[in-house]
Amino acid sequence: MAIEQQQQFLQQIAPFNELDDRALGVLAQQLDVVYFPVNARITVDSGENAFVYFVIKGHIAELADEVSAGPGVERAQNQLWRAHYAVRSFLGEQVVLNRKLGAQHFSVQEEAILYRLPAPAFTEALHSYAALKQFFEASLVERLNAMHASAQMTASTEIMMDTVCSAPIRALVEVDAKCSLQEAAQKMVALQSDACVVQLPDEVGERMGIVTSTDVLRALASTEFDQRMPVWKLANWPLVSVHEFDYLFNALLKITRHRIDRLVVRSDDGLRGFLTQKDLMGLFANQSGLALLKIEQAGSVADFKVVAQQIDELVVNLHRKGIKTHYIAKLVNELHRKLIEKLFEMWLPENLQERVALLVMGSEGRSEQVLRTDQDNALIFDGLSAAEVTQLQASMQSFTAALVEIGFPPCPGKIMVSNPRWCQSVEGFKAQLKTWFDRPTEEGFMHLAIFYDAQVVVGQQSYFERLRQLLLSRLRDNPMFLRHFAKAALQFDTPIGFFGGLKTDNQGGHARLDLKKGAIFPIVHGVRCLAMEAELTQTNTHWRIKALMDEGVLTEAFGIELGEALNYFNALRLESMLYGQSHGDDIVVDNALDVQRLSHLQQDLLKQALSVVERFKKLLQRHFKLHEVM
Amino acid sequence: MALWLQRLTSALAVWRKTRRLKRLRDPCYAFLFDAEQEPDTYICFDCETTGLNPKKDRIISLSAIKIRGNEILTSEALNLLIPQPGISAESIVVHRIRNADLQSAAQNGEVGGVQVLAEREAIGRFLEFIGANPLVGYYLEFDVAMVNQVVKPWLNVELPNRRIEVSELYYRQRLSELEQGLAMPNIDLKFETILQRLQIPNIGQHDAFSDALMTALIFLKLQSLVKSS
Repeated sequence: MAIEQQQQFLQQIAPFNELDDRALGVLAQQLDVVYFPVNARITVDSGENAFVYFVIKGHIAELADEVSAGPGVERAQNQLWRAHYAVRSFLGEQVVLNRKLGAQHFSVQEEAILYRLPAPAFTEALHSYAALKQFFEASLVERLNAMHASAQMTASTEIMMDTVCSAPIRALVEVDAKCSLQEAAQKMVALQSDACVVQLPDEVGERMGIVTSTDVLRALASTEFDQRMPVWKLANWPLVSVHEFDYLFNALLKITRHRIDRLVVRSDDGLRGFLTQKDLMGLFANQSGLALLKIEQAGSVADFKVVAQQIDELVVNLHRKGIKTHYIAKLVNELHRKLIEKLFEMWLPENLQERVALLVMGSEGRSEQVLRTDQDNALIFDGLSAAEVTQLQASMQSFTAALVEIGFPPCPGKIMVSNPRWCQSVEGFKAQLKTWFDRPTEEGFMHLAIFYDAQVVVGQQSYFERLRQLLLSRLRDNPMFLRHFAKAALQFDTPIGFFGGLKTDNQGGHARLDLKKGAIFPIVHGVRCLAMEAELTQTNTHWRIKALMDEGVLTEAFGIELGEALNYFNALRLESMLYGQSHGDDIVVDNALDVQRLSHLQQDLLKQALSVVERFKKLLQRHFKLHEVM
Repeated sequence: MALWLQRLTSALAVWRKTRRLKRLRDPCYAFLFDAEQEPDTYICFDCETTGLNPKKDRIISLSAIKIRGNEILTSEALNLLIPQPGISAESIVVHRIRNADLQSAAQNGEVGGVQVLAEREAIGRFLEFIGANPLVGYYLEFDVAMVNQVVKPWLNVELPNRRIEVSELYYRQRLSELEQGLAMPNIDLKFETILQRLQIPNIGQHDAFSDALMTALIFLKLQSLVKSS
């Protein structure tokens, strides 16, 4: 009866939740309760005050060394807090683990009731239980993965993250090039499959194609129908396939992107069968699949508005289930692009369809925008008459207006197709590019960065490719340019102090930290510069990091760490934005993270992740020899 | 309080103590009558009983926790279970202690830091635990009466320890906060209300240990309020 509550309390705190009842009981038995009024000081050292504390109630801040040591504490206030501890977090373990020499000092911000565990009890538990020891000694990546794993465990029903082979796969029917339509159809009937894979004759240049029941039906309807005709004549290629161990959500992406009804499932030793859209939708059942279908069916701005809201709900749900932000972003961006593409086709005058390319740029181009924060888009056209240009510009005005109405907020820098500067001919953009290079300004730098992250959503891929090539050749001719460009990655300080504490601003009594400036931007921009140098075609930062690892620019270990750190920042940012949204903040784009609302573990991870940013900046400095261009 | 009155009161207390000490049947427990030695140390305790009549009902469980400064030493808490024949049905609702629990506890001797002892032995442990320290409780009178019911026939004395009633401390605190009007304010002294007003987390569970712990927190919070005002 007596120690049950203590035991239950510990059970809610990672990593103590890994312990069995007996071990928890031993720890619980040694807990005392201490009460601290507001403004009281708590010191943890390796002597008389060697304790680990757990917060039952209240709010405690750790003071930076320079404050706790000297007088003038009053002036110190928020900027020098090193960390914040709220309910169910623990403190003091750094000193107890000898991570930190001397003492840690804490100030009670809000009347606190704490459990207090003597240091020997803590270290003993650490030695007896591998799970605890591992947790406190693990690297950033390991700890993040552990966190995701536990979040994912609670969401094991999340079908998106299941592998393709867990879905119903239809039997594979495979025929050679000589097979007749009738034989193929008989095989399909026998195996109850509605498609078959056909080997193509050598002259086609592609090895395999696919024939579906729809193709057979179409052949039946045609006047030249002959059941003895070789079945390959009906085939479609190339085959779109998915590996059996790939995520189901990647299968969904492929089906969406290629607008097909089925994928061929392959294994390491060959083809396995078919995965149909219908079966896949049956699995997803809810939102993600639904949102996709709704986009296909949408016919008005009002319809799209509903879809956009559903996508937002999807984000919330996926995030709650512990899906990595990188994956959420990938899926959501695919849906957003679908939506933009459909809408664009509605607005674009028919006579111009073949002569334009719509770009999404910036975070959208990188597939990193999760909540619709702003729209960065542009239109490239070629071979249009003056009258047609006027017509196009007019329709782009209403296109942008429609996007705004659906819920893509306008870009504050007016980087949108409605702005004639971002709706130009190939030649016009070429001139623009040259200006960015020849007369470098801060704005030009920003525009170039946004432009380099662009991807074509609808229209002529080649228009953009021509501009990209020009950009790359300019970079090659002018190596100094990239070095100046890269400097921007260092322009904001990483919000981490010399002693490893978090640097925060005090805004209305909240300790806040600008994640975008201090953490996300340096990674995104730094990786962008490295990608420009390596002339990578990827736009997504994670894929760029992967490619840079393949090229040997980044080491395997550091690349993974950098990617995980970015994932973590984005997850925190997303969480903070979702919190703002649910609490009726008008400004959705709030990059300031309220540090007090983070758990102790989250703060700890944040500090570790920020130190990765710091290392990355040093790498950039060495790589681009930035000290010379400062 | 005027100085002379203070002196008179403490002199009276000493006189009473010595008179009672003379009646003590077993000199082993004379320590109860010592002067308070450890400063800032208190014993918070709570009993669960078979009913609300100190004359008839018995103690089923008792938890005592030492408070030292701002610390509540739960790791050294005394938790006692006393098997009693036939616990009345009404009390089961409040304490969720069933005869079956007591029996299973009795067989094992100890359950999760709880000692299962016969009544006199249990109270003996309790006396050793409290020493000469002042006692803290909520409606302490009842709990002390329940203990005295065992102590009196055994040692021929009642608990001599100073008593601190948290509901009384709370009442005074509230009174000092409220505007002084003509009518006496109506101050709610329910345990739940006090917890809520003082923003102390309600553990929810009602057993002797939880109640003693929450009472100790009430005491510390009230002490700090007095200090800060």
